[in-house]
Amino acid sequence: MKLAVCVKRVPDSEARIKIGADGSAIDGSGVKFVLNPYDEYAVEEALKLKEAAGTGEVVVISAGPDAAQETIRTALAMGADRGVLLRCETLPLDPLPVAKALAAELRDGSFDLVLFGKMAIDDSSHAVGTMVAELLELPCVSAVAHLSVTDGSGTAEREVEGGVEVVEFALPAVVTADKGLNEPRYPALRGIMMAKKKPLEVKEAGLEAGGLEVVSLSHPPERKAGRIVGEGAEAVPALIEALKNEAKVL
Amino acid sequence: MPDVLAILEQRGGTLKKVSHETLTAARHLADGLNGEVHALLIGAAEGSGDGLGAFGADKVLLAGDEGLRDYQADRYAAIAASAGDYPVVVIAATALGKDLAPRVAARLSGALAADVTEVRYEGGIVVTRPVYAGKAVYTLKVTGSPCVLSVRPNAITPEQSEKAGTTDTMKVEAAEPRAKTVEVKQPEKAALDVAEASVVVSGGRGLKEPENFGLLEDLAGALGAAVGASRAVVDAGWRPHAEQVGQTGKVVSPNLYFAVGISGAIQHLAGIRTAKTIVAINKDPDAPIFKVADYGIVGDLFEVVPKLTEEIRKVREG
Amino acid sequence: MTGPVRPAAIQAALPSERVVLQEPPGEERIDLDVVFVGAGPAGLAGAIELARLVRGDNESSGGIGEVSIGVLEKAAALGEHNLSGAVVNPRALRDLFPELADGDFPFGQPVPKESLYLLSQRRAHRLPMPPSMHNKGNYVASICEIVRWLGEKAQELGVDVFPGFPAGALLTDGDRVLGVRTVPSGLDRDGNPTSTHMPAADIVAKVTALSEGTRGMLTEAYREWQRIPAANPQVYALGVKELWELNRPLDRVIHTMGWPLPREAFGGSFMYPLEPNVAALGLVVGLDYPYRDLDVHVLLQRMKLHPLFRPFLEGGELIEWGAKTIPEGGYYAWPERLSGDGVLLLGDAAGFVDVPSLKGIHYAVQSGIFAARAIFQALKADDTSRATLGEYDRLVHGSYIRDDLYRTRNMRLAFKDGFIRGGLKAGLMTLTGGRFPGRKIPMHRDADVQRYAGGSVPLPADDPLVVSKVDAVFKAGNATRDDIPTHLIVGTDVSTDAAEFYAHLCPAGVYEVADGRLVVNPPNCVDCKATDVVGPRWTPREGGAGPAYKRM
Repeated sequence: MKLAVCVKRVPDSEARIKIGADGSAIDGSGVKFVLNPYDEYAVEEALKLKEAAGTGEVVVISAGPDAAQETIRTALAMGADRGVLLRCETLPLDPLPVAKALAAELRDGSFDLVLFGKMAIDDSSHAVGTMVAELLELPCVSAVAHLSVTDGSGTAEREVEGGVEVVEFALPAVVTADKGLNEPRYPALRGIMMAKKKPLEVKEAGLEAGGLEVVSLSHPPERKAGRIVGEGAEAVPALIEALKNEAKVL
Repeated sequence: MPDVLAILEQRGGTLKKVSHETLTAARHLADGLNGEVHALLIGAAEGSGDGLGAFGADKVLLAGDEGLRDYQADRYAAIAASAGDYPVVVIAATALGKDLAPRVAARLSGALAADVTEVRYEGGIVVTRPVYAGKAVYTLKVTGSPCVLSVRPNAITPEQSEKAGTTDTMKVEAAEPRAKTVEVKQPEKAALDVAEASVVVSGGRGLKEPENFGLLEDLAGALGAAVGASRAVVDAGWRPHAEQVGQTGKVVSPNLYFAVGISGAIQHLAGIRTAKTIVAINKDPDAPIFKVADYGIVGDLFEVVPKLTEEIRKVREG
Repeated sequence: MTGPVRPAAIQAALPSERVVLQEPPGEERIDLDVVFVGAGPAGLAGAIELARLVRGDNESSGGIGEVSIGVLEKAAALGEHNLSGAVVNPRALRDLFPELADGDFPFGQPVPKESLYLLSQRRAHRLPMPPSMHNKGNYVASICEIVRWLGEKAQELGVDVFPGFPAGALLTDGDRVLGVRTVPSGLDRDGNPTSTHMPAADIVAKVTALSEGTRGMLTEAYREWQRIPAANPQVYALGVKELWELNRPLDRVIHTMGWPLPREAFGGSFMYPLEPNVAALGLVVGLDYPYRDLDVHVLLQRMKLHPLFRPFLEGGELIEWGAKTIPEGGYYAWPERLSGDGVLLLGDAAGFVDVPSLKGIHYAVQSGIFAARAIFQALKADDTSRATLGEYDRLVHGSYIRDDLYRTRNMRLAFKDGFIRGGLKAGLMTLTGGRFPGRKIPMHRDADVQRYAGGSVPLPADDPLVVSKVDAVFKAGNATRDDIPTHLIVGTDVSTDAAEFYAHLCPAGVYEVADGRLVVNPPNCVDCKATDVVGPRWTPREGGAGPAYKRM
């Protein structure tokens, strides 16, 4: 079974975000970078599918800077077979150029299934995987919480409003993984050691600029001091009002 | 013609409220571009287009019938992409929108700005969107055409701006979707996971007895929220460990967090600091939780909570 | 009825039967040539120097060939469990990287000015700096940044660094150390495997270098097992530290003595500008204080409100918080031998810290370099016995590590009888270059010191500069899962008094007293090891549990 997983190097969710001097990107110094958590589910699912099939290959592909090689190595340490880095210093915020580069890399690979995490925790665009599927004209199911694959076809489940949607599709296909799809394995010591020796190809990504230009990156407005809206049950309407119109969470 | 396509959303044939926000955003952009707003509604019941003019739609395109009432990604994307030559497409970033927006963008070979919270026209389209889980905000200029914008629900306040609305029916080609929905099952687990839920209602010792958690379960039900518990009540055996809101600062990051009868003195505050909006209900006006909460009600929770549940139900149904 | 608490009387013993295993390695086994346990400055420097020696040797024919070097680290990522002041002497890094300049090292700024103060509750009195404390030529630094930098250098040289793998036991055969066994992960509160369970793995190596840092468990176990004595018992101080973004720039390194410490407690505080607007600030207290209720975290919170510190912090932001113990016994607490069959003891774990100058990092790095040289010779000779690895002892004892710590060998010990008398003695020691008092001052074990009720002060309420223990633990980046099995071994018969002592002792709020009984919150633990010294025994938890320091 030939599987590809696309992964992204992102700042750790606990990282303190500082804006760089030019006001248009984060200051990456001292920031801990990790394999995008949603991508871990994708890697794990690919490994499980390969193990179930008994034979096959899991290729890990990432678009990113040189340091993304470390991210690919993490996936190799989990058990993937080889990696490809599409190198580019910075990724545009517009997902389309990245999707085009990944689609070009995947097109001739004869993959049965291509997996992504449903979104990257840095930009939360929730887009690249689905876009790649559209560019390759393949069936795509996003935010998959359960997946089963048999000879040439697959069934995926995903949460929708009011229930769980069950979707069937023929292979080759693209799925994007949601939390809970599986329990990603931690790399074992042996896996970490072997990862160093697995092939990792580096190519220039040659990304287009995309259709979004950064004007600025800034911190969100300070959290306003809280207020007591009133006393007792009579205060409830005022609270609802505030939640609806001020906080906009209702 | 620089028109804006607003892809609206229906559920069970009825227009969803969030569509008004989509229209408002589209209207702002269309005014800047000197163009029209065309609203696309797929799979909706007849007459659903009525009243959309009040929110700024110049034209409403109804596509498909009950056969397309339930979302089918491939077909919806095909319809949206073939609706016309639009330089700008706007859609709400609901669960459906998050799936549909990138598909449309890819088919149009257009840029995608996802989950934007502000949309304006300043010599060009400018949007703001949060990133890094809300720790930072990008201001972006759209330089590509076409472009697709998905708008975060509840970020835009709907505005009425009377436009003459005409309704057209769009011809829809029959097609086999690449991926086919075979059914929508009822979810297996009834309880939402505290760590995943976007709304959490948490209770502490102030509830006095384990049975009183029923009040919170009602409120949670009305909100579609998960029930959480402070360490004190979990240790006392009132609630299962799975509901405990972390004691060591494990980040629970809901959009809305209710701390009911929780003083906030120990262990609780650290884990909820990144919740977007915190509401505290406590009878002690000096309880530390009020320092962290965005909104607070000082009062007897046994009176406040049932009233809150009642009012929330009204809002949800309205 | 309250009475004094003697911590040793209620401490559980080190669980040696679990920590020193006389069994052959299991099936889950990795074979390396050399393993360093702990990716701190000592372990990483050792791995780097060893890799360089091997590389240099292989440049000519007859070279040693491939040597596999691994470094195990219990934190999820390098640096996350490292904490120090710190003002660093660059000499050891220069020895390790002779081709680099000081500007290439991962330091903050060079020490600008320095001041020493004696604090009273409301005032700060300038004191002349004792010669031992001068920091000219040194740099303010974050040990986390140093460790991450060393980690990169190590990996560039082909060293395998394994974060997330704590070592829980020594594998032995006769007197030889064969390697270590890691701690299994993914167990629930009752010790049963969950779906993320990973069993222990055995790392078998020709040489195991123990660079575990302060109060390293395997080091303690090895010494106990092999009955390696020292002239004095090792003694410890607890340091609680915060990293602040300042309201206004700080132009000097500050040390203080006196308030808020009570008279019978030894210690002091520091404030170091990593950058003009980012400062590390902390309070260090010897764990032999005779007070049951002394709480170092609370004292630090009060200290921040002092007019010397407050103006810098008000309007600033608390970035991180953390805690760690420091071995303070000096030269006389060094183990009689630092090596054995297949094993070496490095850095803080061996006690290479100089209290008067508050330095340990460069000694750790230097010890790593010496360990590498001894290991390299042993590997070349294919002989990793105690006799051959003893080259390490010779290198350490013939170096400035020994010279520096010998000169100040009695300095800290002088303070065991209190601050005033200690101060006088220390002054005499400095004047005589260590020749006074001529003989070793004997030292008590921290756990043997009686603690009497008293020494408590309240946590100031309602001040934005003050942080509670729970919030502090959050600021340490601790996200340990709540259902982790407990890693602490509590003794039997813990009285209410003892429980109170533990509750005040632990800076992370692991121990609380409810209804007169001890309550333990193991997930809070930030691995400072104070508990292991005078309280419940500490054992390593699954990889990644504990704090996540970024710039401490």
